[in-house]
Amino acid sequence: MRVRDCKPLLGLVAAVALLLAAAPVKAQTRAETLRYVTGASVNTLDPNVPGSTREAFAVSLSTYDRLVSFGRKQLNGKWVFDLDKITGELAESYEVSPDGMKLTFHLRKDAKFQDGTPVTAEDVKWSLDRAVTAPVLGKAQLLTGSLTSADQFKVIDPLTFEVTLPKPDKLALPNLATVYPIIINSKLAKANATPEDPWAINWLKEHAVGSGAYIIESFKPGEQVIMKRNEAWNRGTAEKAAFFKRVIVQSVPEPATRANLVERGDADLVIDLQASDVQSLEAKGTLKVISTPQYNALTFISMNNRIPPFDNVNVRRAIAYALPYDDMFKAALFGRGTPLFGAEWPDGQPTSGAYPIAQPVKLDLEKARGFLKAAGMPDGFSTTFSFNVGQASTAEPMSALVKESLAKINIKVDIQKMPDAQMSTQINEKKLPFFTEGIVAWLPSTDYFYRNFYIGDQRWNYSSINDPELTAIAQEARFEPDKAKYEQDGKKLNAIHFAEMPQIPLWQPSQDAVMALSVEGYTYQFHRQVDYRDLSRK
Amino acid sequence: MIITTLGATVKRAAKRFLSSLPALFGVLVFTFLLMRVLPGDPAVFFASGPNAGKAEIELIRKQMGLDKPVPQQLVYYLYDLGRGNLGNSIMTGQSVTKDLRDRLPASLELTFSALLIALVFAIPLGVLAALRPGSLIDHGIRLFCALGVCVPTFVSGLLLIYVFYYLLGIAPDPTGRIDIFTSLPPSRTGFLLVDFLLAGDVSGWWGAFKQLILPAVTMALFVIAPLARITRASMLVSLGSDFVRTARSVGLSWWRIVVTYALRNAILPVITIAGIVFSTMLGANVLVEKVFSWPGVASYALDALLSSDYAPVQGFVLLMASIFVIVNLVIDVLYGIADPRVSVG
Repeated sequence: MRVRDCKPLLGLVAAVALLLAAAPVKAQTRAETLRYVTGASVNTLDPNVPGSTREAFAVSLSTYDRLVSFGRKQLNGKWVFDLDKITGELAESYEVSPDGMKLTFHLRKDAKFQDGTPVTAEDVKWSLDRAVTAPVLGKAQLLTGSLTSADQFKVIDPLTFEVTLPKPDKLALPNLATVYPIIINSKLAKANATPEDPWAINWLKEHAVGSGAYIIESFKPGEQVIMKRNEAWNRGTAEKAAFFKRVIVQSVPEPATRANLVERGDADLVIDLQASDVQSLEAKGTLKVISTPQYNALTFISMNNRIPPFDNVNVRRAIAYALPYDDMFKAALFGRGTPLFGAEWPDGQPTSGAYPIAQPVKLDLEKARGFLKAAGMPDGFSTTFSFNVGQASTAEPMSALVKESLAKINIKVDIQKMPDAQMSTQINEKKLPFFTEGIVAWLPSTDYFYRNFYIGDQRWNYSSINDPELTAIAQEARFEPDKAKYEQDGKKLNAIHFAEMPQIPLWQPSQDAVMALSVEGYTYQFHRQVDYRDLSRK
Repeated sequence: MIITTLGATVKRAAKRFLSSLPALFGVLVFTFLLMRVLPGDPAVFFASGPNAGKAEIELIRKQMGLDKPVPQQLVYYLYDLGRGNLGNSIMTGQSVTKDLRDRLPASLELTFSALLIALVFAIPLGVLAALRPGSLIDHGIRLFCALGVCVPTFVSGLLLIYVFYYLLGIAPDPTGRIDIFTSLPPSRTGFLLVDFLLAGDVSGWWGAFKQLILPAVTMALFVIAPLARITRASMLVSLGSDFVRTARSVGLSWWRIVVTYALRNAILPVITIAGIVFSTMLGANVLVEKVFSWPGVASYALDALLSSDYAPVQGFVLLMASIFVIVNLVIDVLYGIADPRVSVG
């Protein structure tokens, strides 16, 4: 008994000694550590793996480099990514040939992978070949920039790399700055490839072998990722390593807990709090809250244009004038975002060719009744309105208001709350008549939005619209080099959208980044996650 | 004599375990079919990148083996299962076996602690209430129990976090099993409290203990009621019985009468209920796990269910069914110890 008693005592002494010794070190590293908490989780280290989460994208931004990256600009006093400014990341410089068909990249001479070996054009070729040939997510993305085949990528010399395009596509270069075309250490990857898995997809899921700013220290899928700084990395804008020595990405499912953590100073940054919590934290003034309207994303109320009664344009218009926009905006988002309703179009024509554009609609029940009569349904009809569980905090209050308001014009609405997987399946099968969903585009140009979300018999065409004129203009605009003409095309597309009213744009929700006062440099990124390399502490 | 009884018990336990295998198999097939009948296509859900189209959906479907007819899928699944492979989770990108192995100890540790706390409070409370039925104490205990059951665990959990972490700052941040800045002990049992002790790391142990106490109390509050009520009821029967009256009449000490005679006889139903409570807690503590970011199996299964990730859900149900079988066995054995007349049969 006595002997056993001694052990914990000894342990205690040792522990106290250790604590005393370790305390100052710990305090120092805390300031140099960024603790980011999120409701989602990281499930792979390779963003290309089908099913990878947005948090996985963010981690890959820090562990891998791409050839180029987006610059940043100020929008209403907040930093956001800048699509028009593409700077070199692994490429020191790049040239676009006069005919726009050739992109030549000159790699940095000093760029090294995290294992110390130099980054060569061979690695770039292997990585991009993988992105367009292997069964990975990059394929569909790079397609939008006319990058489809390994034949387009050519190694000129160890530090020069060339991309050939079939047509001058202005989205080719921006596509190389997106999440997927990561540059992988091809020697390591090839060494771990198997005959069944020649692109080492399984191995890279668990191993990050890039040249990025952060090195994976520990990776527990679904729980946390800890990264340490890559001291040799110098691809940042300031030509030096990232600021934080350590970055912890931790999953905390409960939003109230995340709010508590950041308020108590135990977490440094969180971007997915509930709007009500953001509101109250902002009011207290002890934290920095940066709200950026997600200008590459928007929320809709969608109607399936092929299911009666929504195949009748007057029914769609009636709905558009029967929604209590202001109340919905307040109830769902606490007004945190950019509204896409209540605009004035002086001569009934769109004021700009940009997408999305605020629609000249507002709650007007008389007008709505008129449209319903024109549709031959003065007595209304019954339908369902669906949203997914994942969006419940915003969609639930909103759908109650939709139901209430539509009841006034005799449209009876049953609210359906669906598990996320079920909802996406039903949307994919085009079975939902009336629902709310959101979309996002990494490279938000007008033609991109219209081509991806208003064309074809595919999932993202929520409204299932099939308008030949819209399709033709959008396809043409893609390769339109003249800015004025492009703007004209955009206006035409926006006019068709308003006339057909396939779905009703509601708003662009804000991304509310809540952080400690000491955290600086937060930038809203195209992937809507945090780029840890942007951040520093003062 | 003791050895032969023990041997017999083990033999009977093994027999009993074997007889539960068909039930396990049934659960297995049922879950497998149920997951596929439920609306919601996991491939569509997971192919939700900004550009994922039909090709990505097909890719994931193939990766999950969903491109084959259901009977064939079932055969493949059983074949894999026979080799100890529960399939892969798309959600975490890991094999389900590994996920469950990593997460089960977290859930078990939490549940065991909660059950221990619950028993430590519930039995004395039940006994106290039974000793003075109808008194103020009895009503007080009834009120306490009612409150514990009435308040949902996520409410009491958030309330405890608010008071002890947010207001008072005594508790560590409610994010998982261990402070994020502490390094983990070498994993021997997976139970952090045990592993830290084995590693001789007292400050680590204290850290893990502090992380554990709030979620454990949250869960315990919820299950104290049934345990205390059943203790009270069976104590009342036991206290009113002939042998206690005899014991009183021969002038045995109060402690001996209540604890040795009355309580020992009253404990059987408490063990039964404790077993049921344990199994339920393990599967149903998903809210507690979510609130405290506890990396356990229940929250894992819920996430998987929401995203229709088949393999983890099937693995979880199988695991729970097996645990249920084992718990029942253990209870039967405990019966034998509490009351030698009972034998596992």
